[in-house]
Amino acid sequence: MASSSSSGLTFKLHPLVILNISDHYTRVKSQSQPPLLLSSTHASNGGDSAPATTSSSSPPRVFGCVIGVQRGRTVEIFNSFELLYDPSTQSLDRSFLEKKQELYKKVFPNFYILGWYSTGSDAEESDMHIHKALMDINESPVYVLLNPSINHAQKDLPVTIYESELHVIDGIPQLIFVHASYTIETVEAERISVDHVAHLKPSDGGSAATQLAAHLTGIHSAIKMLNSRIRVLHQHLLSMQKGDVPCENSLLRQVSSLLRRLPAIESEKFQDDFLMEYNDTLLVTYLAMLTNCSSTTNELVEKFNTAYDRHSRRGGRTAFI
Amino acid sequence: MDPSYSSSDIARQTWELENNIVQMEAPSLAATSTSPPSSTATEASSDMIFFYDEAAQTKFQNEKPWAHDPHYFKRVKISALALLKMVVHARSGGTIEVMGLMQGKTDGDAIIVMDAFALPVEGTETRVNAQADAYEYMVDYSQTNKQAGRLENVVGWYHSHPGYGCWLSGIDVSTQMLNQQYQEPFLAVVIDPTRTVSAGKVEIGAFRTYPEGYKPPDEPVSEYQTIPLNKIEDFGVHCKQYYALDITYFKSSLDCHLLDLLWNKYWVNTLSSSPLLGNGDYVAGQISDLAEKLEQAENQLAHTRFGPLMAPPQRKKEEESQLAKITRDSAKITVEQVHGLMSQVIKDILFNTVRQSSRSQTESSGPEPMVET
Repeated sequence: MASSSSSGLTFKLHPLVILNISDHYTRVKSQSQPPLLLSSTHASNGGDSAPATTSSSSPPRVFGCVIGVQRGRTVEIFNSFELLYDPSTQSLDRSFLEKKQELYKKVFPNFYILGWYSTGSDAEESDMHIHKALMDINESPVYVLLNPSINHAQKDLPVTIYESELHVIDGIPQLIFVHASYTIETVEAERISVDHVAHLKPSDGGSAATQLAAHLTGIHSAIKMLNSRIRVLHQHLLSMQKGDVPCENSLLRQVSSLLRRLPAIESEKFQDDFLMEYNDTLLVTYLAMLTNCSSTTNELVEKFNTAYDRHSRRGGRTAFI
Repeated sequence: MDPSYSSSDIARQTWELENNIVQMEAPSLAATSTSPPSSTATEASSDMIFFYDEAAQTKFQNEKPWAHDPHYFKRVKISALALLKMVVHARSGGTIEVMGLMQGKTDGDAIIVMDAFALPVEGTETRVNAQADAYEYMVDYSQTNKQAGRLENVVGWYHSHPGYGCWLSGIDVSTQMLNQQYQEPFLAVVIDPTRTVSAGKVEIGAFRTYPEGYKPPDEPVSEYQTIPLNKIEDFGVHCKQYYALDITYFKSSLDCHLLDLLWNKYWVNTLSSSPLLGNGDYVAGQISDLAEKLEQAENQLAHTRFGPLMAPPQRKKEEESQLAKITRDSAKITVEQVHGLMSQVIKDILFNTVRQSSRSQTESSGPEPMVET
């Protein structure tokens, strides 16, 4: 298997797809396991290890289709849906796929089938068969592979995207899978909801203080992450200077171009716009303050009125008596 | 990376404790068993919720405990996947209302939403309604989904209210009432994608209507929310006909793992996004709406000032709260704006002041935008 692809396509993957595959896998797994699991929890403690071993020996593989948009050389994978594996043809159930495609076409008219997904640790020999079967729908499908085993030492997403490439091996042209690099792409609303479920923000409004805390914590952890990344770079550069690590010019060039981007935006225009935004916000704050003041004043007047009214009435009554 | 990972872990656990968010229903049976390694035990039990027990569901369906108590269902549990799907779909609609259905099951007084799917419905900016072809689509989709191992039935519908809060309008109430008559258990979920982006948190509400003619017992004051002036009548007329359910979220052990890892990839987005830029329209709309409300309040106040003795004390009370409401609305907008600005200022310091501080120490490094340029 070649290390990386040379097609030059950029892949963007949305978190929704990853969660969708994860859910599909969990669902199938729990559906195939439960009777064992239930009985074992009812039974003695010793029985507990039994379902764990069976689940690890035969993890269910799930299959599905990824859909999204290709613009120029950028492929953006937005969504996915489940498919059925047809053991007789060793491929995906075609009529089912077409049915699903038609259904999704109605709700997401802009999305096209980009490829398929499955679970497992590595691409298998038989996967090429499924891959080829999809080629009449999309002439160069992608294959998204999710490794469902939980490994806490791993810091990278267990998701791999494969493309197929035609290589000549032993004089026979063959299709083989090659790795493609990808980035995680989110839209604003998606980011917020991923944040929401990942860090479990308060679902009800909460007071202004907790909202502020949540907001700042989010920024803080992002900056911390940035800091740690920069430290890694810095350490690498230091060791390169000392000669512990062989000097790599291409890497140095990349680092240099990255650093040269700072300051990110420094122009008159930006300063102007930034100033305007800043002042707008201050103005909104000021308006809110004014509203608050007038409301409080109104309340005071009201209270004063009641007090005064009662006083005059009482005064009247005493005069009457 | 390690320290940050562990600290975020701690932070998450605090959140979970504070917000009463269970990673999953841990059944008491599993908790009592001691010997197996804890990781596999929690993993197995945490994924229990994903198992669909058809017999139990049918039994529940036949018992119909909700028929006697209109307030039977009190909680909603939404899976991470369903939440993500609904929010993304709602946001993709922009200012147009979109609609979809949720699949799930019931567990005691809780409705569990496992998954959601979109419906091909043409919505307008103010309402959304399902037509006959949508029902056909629904049946088709459910059938194919069942084949793919999604066994749960439809337990409700969701739609979006872009920019005007999570509540049920008159049409929504009648739709929900109809469904609750024939398709119990049924749940209505409303999502506001515009406010989600503006506030930086998911704006979502889950509702069930009371049967017709039912008088709700002393309504607990539901969470206050901003409703635009042109919708306030619609809201006021129908707000006593339904009640909101508590929402919690759950995720599988694999989801947990993936989401943790996902953070390693997308932290950049937290820094690169700006709520101020994306939602200018919405904020302007909110402020003009506030101005209108203020004007209305002012008119009423002026009226009462002419005859302060004539006005019954009851009306006065109402008025006060009206001004107080406006204050709260304006405070909310301000908080959101200040949050947005705060991130901008932090980013400016982070990325733009690098050279300045090295060039000259006398020049103030922080932004001083109050100074006129």
